[in-house]
Amino acid sequence: MNNMEPANKFIIQQENMYSGALSCRGCGWTLLARYVSHIMGENTVYVVPACCFSIIAGPNPMNLMKGTVVHTLFAAAAATATGVRHALDRQGKTDTSVVVLAGDGGTFDIGLQALSGAAARQENIIYICNNNAAYMNTGVQSSTGTPSGAKTTTDPSGKKLPAKNLMGIIEAHNLPYYATASPAFLNDLVSKLEKARDSRGFRFLMIDGPCPPGHKHDPEISIELARLAVETRYFPLLESENGELKISFVPKEKRPVTDYLKPQGRFAHLFNGTYSNGIEEIQKQVDDSWQRLLNIQNIASPLP
Amino acid sequence: MTETRTTEQPPARQGVLPPHHTKRVMKGNSAAAVAAKLCRVSLVTAYPITPQTSIIEEITSMIDHGEFDATSVNMESEHSVFAALKGASLVGERVFTATSGQGLLYAHEVLHAIAHMRLPIVACNVGRPSFPWNIWADQTDSISQRDTGWVQYYCESSQEVLDTIIQSYKLAEKLQLPVMVVLDAFYLSHTSENVFLPDQSLVDAFLPPAENAGNRIDTNHPRAFGGLVGPNTYDDYNRLFWEDMNRVDEGTNVIGREFGEHFGRHYGAVEAVNIHQNTKKILVAMATITTTVREVLDNYPDIGLLKIRLFKPFPKISILEAIKPAGEDCAIITIDRNFTGDSEGALMQEMKRALYGNTGKVFGVYAGLGGRDVSVETIEKIINLDVDSPQTDEVTWIK
Amino acid sequence: MIEIRGHARGGQGMVTAFEMLAKIFSYRYDFEVQAFPFFGVERTGAPIQAYLRISPGPIRVRSYIYHPNMAIVFDEGLMENPALLDGLTADGTLIINSEKPPSAFKGKTRRVVTVPATRISVERKLGSKSLPIVNAAMVGAILRVLGTDVEEAREIIAQEVPVKPEANVDAAITAFSSINEFVDELFRPQQTNGSVAKSPKPESAVPFWDKPMSINKTGNWRVVAPKYETRQAPCSYNCPAGTDVRLFVDLAAKGKFDEALDVIYRHNPFPSICGRVCPHFCQQKCNRMYLDGNVNIGAIERFIGDYGKGAPTAVVPVTKEETIAVVGSGPAGLTAALQLRNLGYHVTVYEAMPKAGGMMRSGIPRFRLPEEVLDDEIRRIEEQEVEIITGKKVTIEELDGKYSAIITAVGSHLGMGLNLGSHDSVTDGIEFLRELLIHQKTGKLNRGETVAVIGGGNTAVDVARTALRFGAVPTIFYRRTKQEMPAIAHEVEEAMKEGVVLEFLSAPVDLKPGANGRLDMVIQKMELGEPDESGRRRPMPVQGSEKVVAVDHIITAIGQRSDPYVFSNRSVKARQGRVELEKPQTGTPVFCAGDMAWGGTVVEAIGSGNDVAKETDAFLRGKTWTKKESSLPVTGYDEINTAYFMPAPGHATPVNIPANLLNNFEEVAGGLSRETLMEEARRCLHCGECFNCGNCLNFCPDAAIYIDEENRLRVNYDYCKGCGVCVRECPSSAIHYSE
Repeated sequence: MNNMEPANKFIIQQENMYSGALSCRGCGWTLLARYVSHIMGENTVYVVPACCFSIIAGPNPMNLMKGTVVHTLFAAAAATATGVRHALDRQGKTDTSVVVLAGDGGTFDIGLQALSGAAARQENIIYICNNNAAYMNTGVQSSTGTPSGAKTTTDPSGKKLPAKNLMGIIEAHNLPYYATASPAFLNDLVSKLEKARDSRGFRFLMIDGPCPPGHKHDPEISIELARLAVETRYFPLLESENGELKISFVPKEKRPVTDYLKPQGRFAHLFNGTYSNGIEEIQKQVDDSWQRLLNIQNIASPLP
Repeated sequence: MTETRTTEQPPARQGVLPPHHTKRVMKGNSAAAVAAKLCRVSLVTAYPITPQTSIIEEITSMIDHGEFDATSVNMESEHSVFAALKGASLVGERVFTATSGQGLLYAHEVLHAIAHMRLPIVACNVGRPSFPWNIWADQTDSISQRDTGWVQYYCESSQEVLDTIIQSYKLAEKLQLPVMVVLDAFYLSHTSENVFLPDQSLVDAFLPPAENAGNRIDTNHPRAFGGLVGPNTYDDYNRLFWEDMNRVDEGTNVIGREFGEHFGRHYGAVEAVNIHQNTKKILVAMATITTTVREVLDNYPDIGLLKIRLFKPFPKISILEAIKPAGEDCAIITIDRNFTGDSEGALMQEMKRALYGNTGKVFGVYAGLGGRDVSVETIEKIINLDVDSPQTDEVTWIK
Repeated sequence: MIEIRGHARGGQGMVTAFEMLAKIFSYRYDFEVQAFPFFGVERTGAPIQAYLRISPGPIRVRSYIYHPNMAIVFDEGLMENPALLDGLTADGTLIINSEKPPSAFKGKTRRVVTVPATRISVERKLGSKSLPIVNAAMVGAILRVLGTDVEEAREIIAQEVPVKPEANVDAAITAFSSINEFVDELFRPQQTNGSVAKSPKPESAVPFWDKPMSINKTGNWRVVAPKYETRQAPCSYNCPAGTDVRLFVDLAAKGKFDEALDVIYRHNPFPSICGRVCPHFCQQKCNRMYLDGNVNIGAIERFIGDYGKGAPTAVVPVTKEETIAVVGSGPAGLTAALQLRNLGYHVTVYEAMPKAGGMMRSGIPRFRLPEEVLDDEIRRIEEQEVEIITGKKVTIEELDGKYSAIITAVGSHLGMGLNLGSHDSVTDGIEFLRELLIHQKTGKLNRGETVAVIGGGNTAVDVARTALRFGAVPTIFYRRTKQEMPAIAHEVEEAMKEGVVLEFLSAPVDLKPGANGRLDMVIQKMELGEPDESGRRRPMPVQGSEKVVAVDHIITAIGQRSDPYVFSNRSVKARQGRVELEKPQTGTPVFCAGDMAWGGTVVEAIGSGNDVAKETDAFLRGKTWTKKESSLPVTGYDEINTAYFMPAPGHATPVNIPANLLNNFEEVAGGLSRETLMEEARRCLHCGECFNCGNCLNFCPDAAIYIDEENRLRVNYDYCKGCGVCVRECPSSAIHYSE
């Protein structure tokens, strides 16, 4: 079946995540956690660096997950996961999954060194980044995952430079499996989580993370925005299996990026004429990234 | 119960090979590597830094040759080295690493986390300072970690490195505390000397496999480790930590005595040499400087030596017990191979704290920073410090 | 020193409010101040606390406030937490953001003040309804209680708020004068200990824990709640017969044709007929038309109707003493008869024509409705023991006294004339069809003759298409345009394909004898003016645009009326239901239904029949009946989340226009195959109704939706934070907000 179509079924019959999460209304993190826990099962150790999820996953004395959660330091997610993995392997628990759940700050910025190290060592772990494109847990400061134009408390007139191409960095590590996914396309998300779970070696997933307080939008449109991010090619869905990169979803029509930007308060200033490096620039970035992706996809495809 | 020793010579120098031992000539770094193997460590993470490198090289070599059943992982930084150990220790494995200087400083954040997660990790630090570049003996790196909540032992010989690592796992796992075993750069790390290498069976009898006390990851009973803790509970956790830290001084002595029963070499939190009612001055020293002090002491019957083996938590009770025989007018001279940005070196600060309420004078000297050699002459200069003259500064920088 | 403790939800602006108050008291009144939050997990909607100390002298304490003089509650919903009153001093004041009078909180503390801060804020567009930012209004109320002048605070409030300074100042000033106060002199505080959040003692020195997160109930973060609510679909809403269209389409999609048939039969005994001739108001209003074409409900109904052909019928025994006469066997009469028969009445239907069916038989050409289809569905009614007496034209006087009730449903079989003088060659359309369909008379139409058909309704189109089949050359003259034609659109299309010519904006104004026995019809062009009461634009004559068209025949189809014969020539204003007659009154009550009452299509007649049956039954049972309209809103296209409906082009009804139409009365429209039909039915958007797509449960970020033991979707309000994702992502608009 086509993974990009609506689920039309109850995907999760038995929750592996408890209710009561300390997440904001319409948060992408908890939705992601539901699906990760659903696919990974209880026999999983989640390693969580500083990020919104380190709060959401449960302050003392609670645990959100029906699985083990190891909280760790901001820069150290992939490293701690490495230790957990090897220790479990020493105990013969090779069937226990080790899954990092990190934010964009802990992935793009402070945690990049550890991420790169673990990826280069091909540690047998799954690294999942919920990319909400800023330091949301500390109150919306810019990260290198913050896109250009977005207003944050540390870029009060909008970030000037585009987000780091993290997937390009990931791509350079020759991983057996990496992908991007969106909470708006659940079948695709589930399929990618399953593939990640069933592969071996270092696996990386980046998920678009709706964040109503950070992106400044009504919580009810969280999923709608995630869908628009994909449909406007702002957040391309891609997947690489054993070096072969594929775009998972090519939108049928080219929707303007403004469809995605406009409902969000973080981009509101782009629409009242006070931002000089405006919407056209962002559209161009999106178009260029898409083209680059198409090129890589072509290169990654085996020669005839 | 405290254990003080007044042996004339450090135990490793005794010439008779004890039972179940083999005599080897080993560098301090080798002793550390072999100790990890004898302790049946299962996971070693590492990142190279001079002068620690040979420890991890020897460990990976032993693993590579099948002599040591462990996993070694070459991490990409010391921060990750310790962060990985944090994860592995939570799973319940006995883990080890070694670092030095900048590496230890870089891992500082993780050291706090490990201590507060109460993980029984043992790590060696080969002391060297920070900037400008310097690779020689200096204790500022480990001293500056004294507030992280790690237990710290400072070693005098390769034998002591080996023996202390074995004892450290015992203490760490008993009290759920991480232990740092410190050895001086080059004076110990790269100095080959006689070591009595215990048989594996002897170590096994003393140090059984790590027990899962129910406070480690059990995937059948999922739990969360760490995470946000409210103010009151955080305070409560710290109190529990404090209570266990208060047991380290005595625990070190108990384990040192038990070690002695197994191996024939006795250890304590401190060691008192030549401290009696006629002792006029007591030199307080740590690590390799201690050995040179022992040598000089032979010519000064009224000079005593207090070796601080357990530096953190500072063993106040053992110290007071050790210096008890000395008279009230006996002066204390601390030798600090560290600089913490204060008028007094760390050892002097700690001694003053331990001696609070005592009437004796305390003098401090800085000696041997950045690897400046502390020779017999240096020690004699210290001994000859005129403690009775009002012109003598409380703190002196000795060349 | 005054100590104030505030309780609010994250995002309401309490911390800013306390900052404002601190600055007001410092800058304006030179007090010492301390304002600080309990800095914790501040999530939008989650309960939070903040503190404020105001003192004329130095403040020499830095800790939380355990014995406040005032507790400020920014959200009334937080009052459920008893800890909110902890340590409040005996003379303490409670200020609550509430519409209620302060006496509603009697017993909480001695002095209670309420202020409608939410209303004040929402009116000024401060925050949203789901999260009103009430801080400025609360500042106004607090300033009032503290006995200050709000004017002094104006500047500081304007400076401190991030946006909308004027609105915020206005909110504060309004709230300042909107407080209500209640002092309970008899109040005696209970012994309480001031407390902040309790925390559990560690179970182990190693910081780990395993209590399920579900002990943390996040339901109290919610301001608006999602609720499952089935609403009306435009298809069902627009079916005059009252058919649950959405339901039968859904059943058809699942291949449950028997159940679908039952659903239709509940309101309509003529699905095969309606599947062919109904204008399908349901389909015309189908929301899918805005996406990629409306669902072909007509084809679905036709398939289900035909599927039911020959299916056994159940006969309900006669259980009631009363007997009922129905005059007219059209769709209204037969529907009413069958409904009443199935309620246990003995029902007799009288039909003037030789066969039952009314206009279905006499007014709809066979190429639209084959006679056997009509016969089959009427036979089903007879099988259910409705007595039909044909060829008997009766009046109410003849029936009076012989029945307990009389329902007249004689239809509108009399055509309206043109008022241009009578002429042999001018025929009435409805009569033309009746003569053909009942008496097999083809009129005087000959091959090659020109026929002017006047009108734009179905009769006009049917007449023209019939004329075509006699070899004549018909032209429809209609005074408006194609857009305004009341005829079923696809019938018009088919007529045009068959070769019927349409002249729009043309009305005959005069008729004169022409050459060779033909007629000269004067046609005047029209233009469309302002809309009339029907909503269609009124045709206005264009002066001087007259032209003469020579025709052989004129067939008018400009309207019909009913035959008053049934009322024994009384002048009766027919209307739906019970009718009052002029004297002499009959003993038996008379009811009225069908075209003579209202409507003009089969389906409207069916609806009318259903209603009259209910009213008659109620009357006979001594009750009154009024038609109940659902108050639930009808789901509009803008409420449909089209992201969940993949493009799926519709399946049109196959149309087989014969190459040679002459004397060919074969049915033009075809049916869809079972598979195609089901595929078509699956295009349904399920407007206003849950179809178990899974979205609400799948997308709930808080795992707060579950399926209960009875397999129903439920919201777990213990945890639902009211984010609204389920409401938004529900494809069919079956979840709505409730307060």
